[in-house]
Amino acid sequence: MEILKVENLCKVYGTGEARVQALKQVSFSMERGEFGAVVGVSGSGKSTLLNCIGGLDEANAGKVFLGGKDLFAMGEEERTIFRRQNIGFIFQSFHLIPELDVEQNIAFPLLLDYKKPDQERVDELLEVLGLTDRRKHLPGQLSGGQQQRVAIGRALITHPALVLADEPTGNLDSKSSQDVMDLLCRASRHYQQTVLMITHNMNLTASADRVFRVTDGKLCELGGAA
Amino acid sequence: MRHYLDLVRISAKQHKEQNRMTRLCIILAVFLVTVIFGMADMEMRSQMIQAVKTDGSWHAAFAVDDEQGALLSARPEVEIISRYGTLNYHLQDGYQIEGVETGICGFDGELQEMIPDAEISEGSFPETAAEIVINENIRDRLGAKIGDQIGMTMPQGEVRQYRITGIAKNTSLMAEMDAFCVFVNADGFLALHPEETGAAQEILYFVKFRWFCDIQKTIAEISSQFGLAPKQVRQNVKVLMLMFQSGDPYMMEFYLVAGILSVLVVIAGIFMITASMNSNIARRTEFFGMMRCLGATRKQVVRFVRREALHWCRAAIPAGAALGIVVIWILCGMLRFLSPGLFEGLPVFGISIPGAAAGIAVGFVTVLLAARSPARRAAKVSPLAAVSGNAGTVHSARRAARTRLFKVDTALGVHHASGSKKNFFLVTGSFAFSIILFLAFSTAIDFMHHAVTPLRPSAPDISVTKADGAPNQIPYKLEEELADVPGVKRILGRSYAYLTIPADGRTVAAISYSEQQFRISGDLLLEGSLEEAVEGEGVLSVFTEENRMEYGGSVPVSVGEDVVEIPVTGMLSSVPDVPDNTTDTLICSEELFRRLTGADGFTVLDIQLQEDVTDAQVQGIRHRIEQACGGNVVFSDKRIRNQEVKGAYYSLAVFLYGFLAVIALIAFFNIINCIAMSVAARMREYGAMRAIGMSVRQLIRMVLGETVTYTVFGVAIGCLAGLPLNWYLFHSIVTSRWGEVWRIPGRELAVIVGIMLGSVCLAVMGPAGQIRRMTVVDTINRD
Repeated sequence: MEILKVENLCKVYGTGEARVQALKQVSFSMERGEFGAVVGVSGSGKSTLLNCIGGLDEANAGKVFLGGKDLFAMGEEERTIFRRQNIGFIFQSFHLIPELDVEQNIAFPLLLDYKKPDQERVDELLEVLGLTDRRKHLPGQLSGGQQQRVAIGRALITHPALVLADEPTGNLDSKSSQDVMDLLCRASRHYQQTVLMITHNMNLTASADRVFRVTDGKLCELGGAA
Repeated sequence: MRHYLDLVRISAKQHKEQNRMTRLCIILAVFLVTVIFGMADMEMRSQMIQAVKTDGSWHAAFAVDDEQGALLSARPEVEIISRYGTLNYHLQDGYQIEGVETGICGFDGELQEMIPDAEISEGSFPETAAEIVINENIRDRLGAKIGDQIGMTMPQGEVRQYRITGIAKNTSLMAEMDAFCVFVNADGFLALHPEETGAAQEILYFVKFRWFCDIQKTIAEISSQFGLAPKQVRQNVKVLMLMFQSGDPYMMEFYLVAGILSVLVVIAGIFMITASMNSNIARRTEFFGMMRCLGATRKQVVRFVRREALHWCRAAIPAGAALGIVVIWILCGMLRFLSPGLFEGLPVFGISIPGAAAGIAVGFVTVLLAARSPARRAAKVSPLAAVSGNAGTVHSARRAARTRLFKVDTALGVHHASGSKKNFFLVTGSFAFSIILFLAFSTAIDFMHHAVTPLRPSAPDISVTKADGAPNQIPYKLEEELADVPGVKRILGRSYAYLTIPADGRTVAAISYSEQQFRISGDLLLEGSLEEAVEGEGVLSVFTEENRMEYGGSVPVSVGEDVVEIPVTGMLSSVPDVPDNTTDTLICSEELFRRLTGADGFTVLDIQLQEDVTDAQVQGIRHRIEQACGGNVVFSDKRIRNQEVKGAYYSLAVFLYGFLAVIALIAFFNIINCIAMSVAARMREYGAMRAIGMSVRQLIRMVLGETVTYTVFGVAIGCLAGLPLNWYLFHSIVTSRWGEVWRIPGRELAVIVGIMLGSVCLAVMGPAGQIRRMTVVDTINRD
């Protein structure tokens, strides 16, 4: 079942001499439960692609469909709510809310919907993430690997159709990086969530079903596990 | 770029937006101090103008003989010296013109430079002993003019002829006493042989000293040189006080208050700038880490931060000072507009040097002091911070937000406010500080309303009494007759009598009021109501410290053979002319007064005039009164005096209300600044929240939650601390003197809380716009 469909996506930054075409007619789609990895050199347009797919950034042309819904046809408020309910984000620098403890950080997208979090689901995630004994800790009291695991929990709590991860292991040591990769694979395999991950590390693409390369704003598929 | 410090200039260009807030803080701090000092300076100038107008610009007067006078005038410190003497000051020694007692002032022409009242409006100063200057009263009532001969009868009966050389304006005292007064030169004055008449005569040498002279020291030297007793030396206390040449405690207190306020404003300024610089530095921790990483020493980082601070000062301090000066101009303009005659000497576009200097100095000192702490913080940034790329991005929170109590957006807002105890204390403290200052200072307004009351609705322009002091002899019908005379606005007649309380033989003073006067006195009502007194069914007592006629009780008074019990149905805080301060006073209706005393006329007839009344109309009114009362009246013209007191009131009011406005401004700017700072510091976090799925509306609700938390606690602490202080100050400066009972200052509270709430709305609006415009990707990726 097709979850994500990207059609002729274009993104341009700047004008005149400073004009940079970050994405050039990018099109691809992903099925439910697929794990995709995006590789490319610095400045190739990987993050721009991820930000456009996630609705954080607006494309100049093209469309992004998630579960059949056109992301850019929505208004700002609608898109925000759609994003928090259907897309999970994982950033390189975690971006946890320092004032919320582990449990609250994980439940944050649900709290934004003014919903009472399902405690069983939170407990299950904490268990899977190996953070049960750290549930009342604040981000400042956690290691980098633990913080990223919290960020993964936050991305998964709403059962999003799509999980976008921008260099999730970029700030982590090899052990923590492996933990994170295991979790993302589990999300894809176990929970049937579509995962699209940006990485520099070609070794990490081994776990991916599909690998894409972005070069000067153009996307090409390298096939499975590059 | 030749030096690493040149980076300051380049960095400033790159971070224009971020530095704007810090610059704004410096501008505000300088502005507030400039306004406070400038206003104090302006108040001094206006007080000086008032003092010179009413008392003259002389510094000291010495009762010395001619020989000592000559030595005195030879002293190098003396700039102007003039002899001055008066005769018949109390208008009872027998110096008369056309049968009217006449006061005589004799002085040298130089006195006119020191005393404006001695100035001659028409003609010239008498050059010989046979020449004279008359006042406007003589000119108007006798039709005398310059060049005429006029005869003055001496107490022993001799009539001396003088040639009129000029006309002097009526002084407030002359107008009020309806008196004749003449000026002669000092030789003419000495030729009056007062010793033959037994009239008191004293020649005083009025002196104005040169600038930069230690006046108190010089006076002490002169006194010891001539062996003068203290009573032989007079000082122009008010002028000397305003020149800082007097040890008078009032003025010292005045400057102490201004000083304390300035210190408080400086502290507020330091907090504002420090907070702003702290947050600016916190946002650039990685940058300083990178500098350290590249080899900058801690000292170099400190120097960099300090230079950056001074760089901001370059534009911000002149802007703050200029803004302060413009506000002072507006205040001066207001004073001139309110009382053009009195404040014409006040410069509209004058620059208050002390104000501007204080503002600039405080700006520099504040910035340098405020730069110390962030500079040290910046220097402490480890080079590793730059390498990890994570420094300064995660604030360390000590406890988690309470998401069970509030919705998550509100909970985070409340947590942002209360998360750091130090920050919470500083911000709510500064909010509360504004309320405390406002409530404390508002008691000065209450004090002013009681102490300086020229604008009481009942204040007369002209007061008419019988010359022989006979009570209740001005016919009632005169009130009606004058009501229609052109120029008359309102007539207020009062009768006076003493009533006896038979039980202990004590007397109480009774004053009659018309219904109009009762209504005008409504503001002075401390207890009870006016209605029964207006209807003649009760009386109002007047507050005294040992009040023996309490509201709710009754006063038994003798009326002929009978004793009448009159209920006390209300109490006034004060009335303008109580017969004496030791006798209890009651106010009753005219009808009740007549029943109690059998009186058939007024003792005093107060007349309020239209604003555009002409002198001819005033003379017409006088003529009608003299016709009705047979000439035996004192026509006391209080217009000049009213104008003087009104000027003092305006000057004080502009000053006090100006201070309140500055305090309100501090509250306003503080709230706006605090919230803007907080939002600016967390912008990256907000970007992350937006990325995770927080809507703009939720983010704004979060900022609102933070602002409301600060405000609620600030207002609560401000009220808890400010109200007792307000009570204490009110009790000590108002209740103890005028008996007015303290009430919760609802209006003042409403004003300052209203200003704070308005500021909250504005404070949220700015960041709300910023949040709406924020692009998520740029924000989370920002350095």
